[in-house]
Amino acid sequence: MFEHVQVIHSSEQEVCIHISCVSCPHSIGLSILKKMNTVDDNEKVTDVHEQTFPQTEAAEKSFSDEANHETPLNYQDDTIAATTDGSSLTPSKEGVEEKPKKLCGYLYKLGMKGPLKAWKYRFFSYDDMKCNLLYYRIATDVCALGSIDLHAATFHFDVEAEEGIFEIKTPTKPYILKAINKHARMYWLQQLQRKRWEYCNNPSKIQTECIMSSDVHDREGSLHFGDGDFLSPVTTPTDVVGKMVALMPAPQESTSLQNISLKHPWKEIQNTVRNMCGSKPTQAISRSVFHFEESEQVSAEVTTKQFGKMSPSLNFARKARKQNGGFSSNLENISSDKLDNPQLQIQALTEELKSQKDLVKLLHRTLESAQEEKRVCAEYLSAPEEKDRLELIRHKVRQIEDLRQRVEVLQQEKQDLEQCVSLKDFHIEELKEHVQLLMEKNSAKQLVIMKQNEQLLSQMDLDNTTSSGMDTLHGQYRKIDSLMDDINAYKTQNRFLNSEIHQVTQLWRNTAEKETALLMKCSYIEARNCQLESKYLILLRKLQEVLPYLDADYCEVIKRLIEDALQSDIKTPLQPSNVHFSPISEYDDYGFMIIPEYELEHLKLLAKIQALEIRSNKLLTHDVVDKPLRIKWNSLEELSYSTDLKNLVRCGIPTEHRKRVWKWLTCQRINFSANHYKDLLKKCESAQHPATQQIELDIHRTLTNNKHFNSPTSEFIQKLRRVLFAYSWQNPTIGYCQGLNRLAALALLVLEDEESAFYCLADIVENIMPTEYYSNNLSGSQVDQRVFKDLLSEKLPRLTAHFEQYKIDLSLITFNWFLVVFVDSLVSDILLKVWDAFLYEGTKVIFRYALAIFKYNEEEILKLTDATDIYQYLSFFTKTICDGRKLMNIAFNEMNPFPMKLVRKSRAEHMEKFKAELVELEYIKREYVKSKKELRSTGNDMGVSEDEEDT
Amino acid sequence: MAIRELKVCLLGDTGVGKSSIVCRFVQDHFDHNISPTIGASFMTKTVPCGNELHKFLIWDTAGQERFHSLAPMYYRGSAAAVIVYDITKQDSFHTLKKWVKELKEHGPENIVMAIAGNKCDLSDIREVSMKDAKEYADSIGAIVVETSAKNAINVEELFQGISRRIPPLEPQQNGSNGAVKLGRQSLHQTNRCC
Repeated sequence: MFEHVQVIHSSEQEVCIHISCVSCPHSIGLSILKKMNTVDDNEKVTDVHEQTFPQTEAAEKSFSDEANHETPLNYQDDTIAATTDGSSLTPSKEGVEEKPKKLCGYLYKLGMKGPLKAWKYRFFSYDDMKCNLLYYRIATDVCALGSIDLHAATFHFDVEAEEGIFEIKTPTKPYILKAINKHARMYWLQQLQRKRWEYCNNPSKIQTECIMSSDVHDREGSLHFGDGDFLSPVTTPTDVVGKMVALMPAPQESTSLQNISLKHPWKEIQNTVRNMCGSKPTQAISRSVFHFEESEQVSAEVTTKQFGKMSPSLNFARKARKQNGGFSSNLENISSDKLDNPQLQIQALTEELKSQKDLVKLLHRTLESAQEEKRVCAEYLSAPEEKDRLELIRHKVRQIEDLRQRVEVLQQEKQDLEQCVSLKDFHIEELKEHVQLLMEKNSAKQLVIMKQNEQLLSQMDLDNTTSSGMDTLHGQYRKIDSLMDDINAYKTQNRFLNSEIHQVTQLWRNTAEKETALLMKCSYIEARNCQLESKYLILLRKLQEVLPYLDADYCEVIKRLIEDALQSDIKTPLQPSNVHFSPISEYDDYGFMIIPEYELEHLKLLAKIQALEIRSNKLLTHDVVDKPLRIKWNSLEELSYSTDLKNLVRCGIPTEHRKRVWKWLTCQRINFSANHYKDLLKKCESAQHPATQQIELDIHRTLTNNKHFNSPTSEFIQKLRRVLFAYSWQNPTIGYCQGLNRLAALALLVLEDEESAFYCLADIVENIMPTEYYSNNLSGSQVDQRVFKDLLSEKLPRLTAHFEQYKIDLSLITFNWFLVVFVDSLVSDILLKVWDAFLYEGTKVIFRYALAIFKYNEEEILKLTDATDIYQYLSFFTKTICDGRKLMNIAFNEMNPFPMKLVRKSRAEHMEKFKAELVELEYIKREYVKSKKELRSTGNDMGVSEDEEDT
Repeated sequence: MAIRELKVCLLGDTGVGKSSIVCRFVQDHFDHNISPTIGASFMTKTVPCGNELHKFLIWDTAGQERFHSLAPMYYRGSAAAVIVYDITKQDSFHTLKKWVKELKEHGPENIVMAIAGNKCDLSDIREVSMKDAKEYADSIGAIVVETSAKNAINVEELFQGISRRIPPLEPQQNGSNGAVKLGRQSLHQTNRCC
């Protein structure tokens, strides 16, 4: 299409290329004003300013709808930038933010699919909006053959591969591309890195970022693209990339058959059809590729304005040029550009002025001589007589003669000088010859030296190797050269890869930060959601309670809502999207069911409310409380008893440390031989403890709400069996007491290893708990109930009075709290925290927490005014406690002071009393039996059968 | 309708299905691996009986023998005791007899005793015959039914039977107030301490 390219004007700052299109029927003048800004050598900005001048309006209309098509090169923005740029083409351009140039150009792409693995010549163009690299068959194509998503891609090139090959690895697919040379490759890689960086750090790109915390924003602001440490930016290879390339005729290859995309036949056809349609009115092609309607308008306006102001002479020139037809419009265009630049205009005007001045001077001189002549003539004419006139003429003749003589003298002089010059010339010639001679001599001498050198080298070579020394030396030189090349290549690769790693790491870090921020936000939102949902459920529950008193319509609605709420209860844990980033699941870390299963509907709702509250509590405290604690825990290396550690343990040991700490605590108190557990297991094989049957009976009924224990084939069940069997021989007098199964099971869940769990169990029963806690009449446990009763009346007198009023026997409720240390009473999350402290501090933790549980619910209990209601409430109220931190606070702060000495003293006292009572009871029993026997001996009693006597 | 609260305790050997019977009666639900009761558990259920509503306050106790020392806390003041045995385990029937004896000796005087032979769905491996149970129950004047908490057989009937045995309001109150003299005295002491 462009057949004639002519540079019509060139200066330091602007290059005007005139391209006339011969082939187009409407003879469009296309001028490209290419401004080379020399602000920074490395960042030469190439703006292309183009204009077409459609001859008819009709033609313009015919392709106006073409403007809507997306094309690889959207010039609209850039041309505007060019026009505004032109006006500010002042030296003080530094600091002005430059519009990044369009990244596009031709590359070879390796066809990855199909039988034909061939290089295909493609036009690549970067799309800022989506961070995609689109590729087309040729630049004028409208539809891209495909796109490469860059935002998550990494770049790589191999030194040993063919020159110019590089690779873009996206998460889905690798792309192998080839630039025409190394330099172009480096340019592409750097530009792609830069684009990826810009995209990834553009906050507006990612919608979710609007909810990011401000500090993340600040960090981002300070981030800027920097890989200068590794690799200095490569200059733009203007011949192969940039928009100019798009203007060039598509290379021969691009139209050849093998270059046609087999993968995208439809796009191929679309593009072909579009190109064909475009070739009728040729403007359409340029239209479809380059849009610059706006710039056209701007420049047209400018042109008319400028014409009005132009000086007459320029105006004349313009008129003259206009006569040349189409050509003039180009010049007009140039002048219009000049107007854009007032300095240029001033320059032109100054030159104009100068020439005018010269002209005036010349005319002055002519005028002077003419006046002189006129004066002489006047004198001559004014002479009064003939004689005078003759005299004058003579005078003149004399003067002429005189002048002629002077001319002759001067000519003589000139000849002399000329001779002198020729002489000098000759002399110079001679000297030159002399120099030539010397040069030749010198080169000959150098040749000799070279030869001698070579001889010397060959001689040295001969010394080393007897034959072909020269060849090997040359070969080695060549090798060294190639090795040097390789080194350079590897160095470049290394630098590039360093920059790549640096950038990718930075990107990764940014993304990770964003992710954590989002997760924080997410957990907060989730917590809020849980709170709201639990509130909603509480409301539903309240409504459920008053259900019998409501209208049938309301009943229906409420029942449906409750059903829905319970339904969603099942669905929530199954949502796959949640599983990814938040630990919503049916089970917690230790396999306890998060939402306990209840059969009764109102209990189901309650369970859900509770689960939601626990979750929201957890989520809200996670960052504020748990994280700093976790950091403290992570910094703990050696464990030793200390107030600090005690306080830390009271707050709950993080899951990842719990195993270690429990093991350590157990080992502090227990001192068994290495094979103790194994020996006990052997004993179990040889002899059965009488408790075996009871153990077997209970094993399958242990922690049934835990996933590790609810299947009979589970590994934990087997472990539990062995631990309990071993313990029955460890302490044959206790053997097995119902409840020990729960202690062992919890120890197993945390410690995993059965031997450690066994030691933990032994530690609890033998060291932590008072004696006879699990023995035959559970006296230790019963005594603790009395101790607890005393403590309750001391710490919570109001509640004690309330219980006394309704004749509530608390030991009915609290007995098993103490026996199994709250297992199955508290929710797993709080339970484990209680156990942490219990294993560290011992039984007083049970007292503290038992008191705290009552304190936590004190008001609720005080509201109840019926013994049955109170018992009913107390039978499940431990499970309603969700706020572990609040409970802990009550247990360890509000219940202070809590001296263990008093507990021990109270225990001893009660134990004494209890034993005395037992003795008394035995006595009374015996008396009773005796009296009965006496009664029976009289033959009155028929109620007792003989069987009874047998047992 | 007047609501009458009836305290009922469940006694019996370990693993015979005391908690399962309660669970079936109160929640109409059966769990194969219901956790063993430690100490005791408390549940209530109200059922109509004649022109009264009987609110059962059920204390379900632990079965293991060493928990027997706690039992007085639960059967004290009980209107009825359900003593459960497992028809597939002769031992559990022996334990039942022990419980009956203890109740006779230390329990409230007019306590209604109901014997439940649980797991009647497993009659293939039965060890205790219905006849033996019936004879024994008759000898002590107790209700007797074979139940299956798993298949919901006779559980409701068991409690209905207890309801029917409960004497009308006035005498009941008198009766419970005038419980076993000797036993009550000793139990009172025990409970105060526990």
